Amino acid sequence: MNAHYLARKLAQAFVTIVAILVLNFLMFRMMPGSPDRVLKNPNLTPEMIAATRARWGLDKPLIPDQLIAYVKATVSGDLGYSIFYRGQPVTDVLGATVGPTILLVGLGEVFAIIGGLAIGAYAGWRRGGKTDSIGTGASLILYSMPYFVIGMPLVVIFAAGLGWFPTSGMTTPGMSDQPLLNQAWDLGRHLVLPLLAVTLGLLGGYSILMRSSIIDTRNEDYITTARAKGLKDSWVLRHHAFPNAMLPMVTLIAINLGYVVAGAITAEIVFNWPGLGTLTIHALSARDYPVLQGIFLLVAVSVVIANLIADIVYGFLDPRVRA
Amino acid sequence: MTPATAPPAAAPGIQRRSGSAGRARLFVGRFLSRSDGRYGLLILAFFAVLALFPDLLVGKLETATTATGQSLQPPGGGYLFGTDELGRDILNLTVHGARISMAIGLMATVITVVLGALVGIVAGYVGGPTDTVLMRVSDFFLVLPTIVLAIILAPIILDIVGADAELFGIRATMIVIIVVIGLTSWATTARVIRSQVLSVKMRMFVDRARVVGSGPGRIMRRHVLPNVVNLIVAQAVLTFATAVFTETTLAFIGLGDPFAPSWGQILNSAQGAGAPGLGAWWYIAPPAICVVLVVLAFTLVGNALDDILNPRSGARR
Repeated sequence: MNAHYLARKLAQAFVTIVAILVLNFLMFRMMPGSPDRVLKNPNLTPEMIAATRARWGLDKPLIPDQLIAYVKATVSGDLGYSIFYRGQPVTDVLGATVGPTILLVGLGEVFAIIGGLAIGAYAGWRRGGKTDSIGTGASLILYSMPYFVIGMPLVVIFAAGLGWFPTSGMTTPGMSDQPLLNQAWDLGRHLVLPLLAVTLGLLGGYSILMRSSIIDTRNEDYITTARAKGLKDSWVLRHHAFPNAMLPMVTLIAINLGYVVAGAITAEIVFNWPGLGTLTIHALSARDYPVLQGIFLLVAVSVVIANLIADIVYGFLDPRVRA
Repeated sequence: MTPATAPPAAAPGIQRRSGSAGRARLFVGRFLSRSDGRYGLLILAFFAVLALFPDLLVGKLETATTATGQSLQPPGGGYLFGTDELGRDILNLTVHGARISMAIGLMATVITVVLGALVGIVAGYVGGPTDTVLMRVSDFFLVLPTIVLAIILAPIILDIVGADAELFGIRATMIVIIVVIGLTSWATTARVIRSQVLSVKMRMFVDRARVVGSGPGRIMRRHVLPNVVNLIVAQAVLTFATAVFTETTLAFIGLGDPFAPSWGQILNSAQGAGAPGLGAWWYIAPPAICVVLVVLAFTLVGNALDDILNPRSGARR
C-alpha cells in the first residue's frame, strides 16, 4: 500500500466531513424556530435580549466564531437537545435507535451480498441461459421496488393473512422477564419480515452489477488461459472470474451503505421497527430539527467512512489504483 | 487531391443529412429489436395514456367529500379495486396518481439533467481547477444519499416558504420535492457527460472551431453539446426512473402533498390507515404495482438507449 494513496484518500474524506459539518451548520441557521425568533417577545427588554444573545453566543459573527463553536460541540459529541423527546440529548436519542437499525441493515446486507453475488455470477457466467433470464428478470423487478413496496405485501400475506409472523415491532410487550431463549425466539420472529424486505430490496442491485462485472471479466485473457489449461468450468468461475469481478462490488457495497440506511428507513416504517427510520418519521412529523440533523450527520459521516474503507480495501485488492 | 483535403463545401451537408436519416432508422431498428426496449416502451405508453386522460377514464379525482363508497370496501360492488378508508375509489386514485407521480418525475428529471449536463460539459471542456472543484462537489453529492439529504432539506424549505404557498399554480410541497430531487441527483449525470466530453473535445472539429476563432461558450453549445446529446437522452430516461422512485419514497415518508395523491402518497395513506395489518391488499397493490412497472419500464428503456447510444457501455456487450 502506497502511503501517498492512503494520504490522499484520508485528506479527501476529511474535506468531505468538513463540508458535511459546514452544510449541517448552515442548515441549522436556515431553519425556522431559530433562537432569534424565540426572542421576538414584546415583554423582553433590549438589554435582556442582548444578554441572552451573548449567552448563546449569537452576538458573535456567524463565521468563523459560531461555526467553530458548533464544530467543537459536534466533535465532542454534543448534538443539541431533542424537541420531541422532552429535551433529551440528541446523542442519547440516536444511540437508542442505532442498535436495531444496525441489526436489520447489517444482516440484510450480508444476506443480500451472498444472494446477489451468487445470482449475478451464475447469470453472467451462463449469459443468455435460463438462470440468466429468470435471475436477471427478477433482479430488475426487485431493483425497481422501494423497500416499503416489498414490505407492505409481506405484511399483508405473511402477517395479516397467514399469521405466521407478527405485523410490527421488535419484541412482544412483557417478554423481558421470560428466559433468554424465548426472548431471542421472539426477536427472531419479529425480525424475519423486515429482514426479508431489506434483503430483497438490496439483492437486485447487487445481482445486476455482479452480472455485468462477470460478463466483463469473462472476455479477459486470463480466463481464456485458465480454460486453455483445461480447468473445470466451475473452477474457472470460482477461482479466476469471481475474485476479479468482486472489485467493482467493493465500491458499490460501500457507496450503497448510505442508501441502504435511507431505504431501511422506509422498511422500518412498514414494520414499526424501532430504529433510525421510525425515529426519522417521528422527528419529521414533530419537526424535531436537532434530531433530524443528528440523523443526517450520523448517516453522512458513516457513508464517508465506509467509502474511505472501501478505497483502502480496493487499494489492497487492485494494485493498479495505488498509483 | 490528397486524402486530407476537405471535400467541397456542399457535399458534407447533403451526406450528413441522408446519413442521419439512415442512422435514425438504424437506431429505431436496433432499439425495437431489443425485447427490453419494446416492453418498456409499451408499459410507458400505457401509463402515458393514464397520465394524459385521467378524467376521461375514471372521472374527476375523488376527495373525502365526493367519495361514495364504504370505508375499506374490498373489490367488487361497483368498485373494481375497492375503496380506501375514506370510501374513495382506489381505481380513481391510482389513475390520477399516474399523472401526479409522472409529472413530478418529469420535472425533477428536467432539473437533474439540465444541471448535470451543464456541470458535466463545463467541467469536461474547461478542465483544470474548474474541473477539479466541480468534480469534488459532485463527489460530495454522489456520496450523500439523496433520500437522507431530501428528508432534511424538504421540511426546512417547506417551513420557510409555507406548505400552502403556490408558484405558477403548483403547490409548494410539490415544487420542494421536485427541486430537492433535482438538487440531490444531478451528480451521476454530470459524471457520465463529463467523461464523454473529455473524449469529444480531443476531436478534430473542436480544434477547427477554435482555430476559426469560436469562443469556449460557443464551442460548448454548438460543437460539444450536439455530440453528447445522445448520452443526455439516455441519462434522462434513467434519471426518470430514479426520480419516480425517490418521489414515491419521499411521499411515503410523509413529505408529499396530501391534496395531490401520487402513488407514494396513496401508499402513505394506506400505511397510515393500517391497511397492511388489516389485510386490505386492494389498497396497496394497485399503486405499488404501478410504481414498480413505471420504474422498471424507464430502467429497461434507459438501459436499451444507453447500450445503443453510449459508446462506453455499448462496447461492453
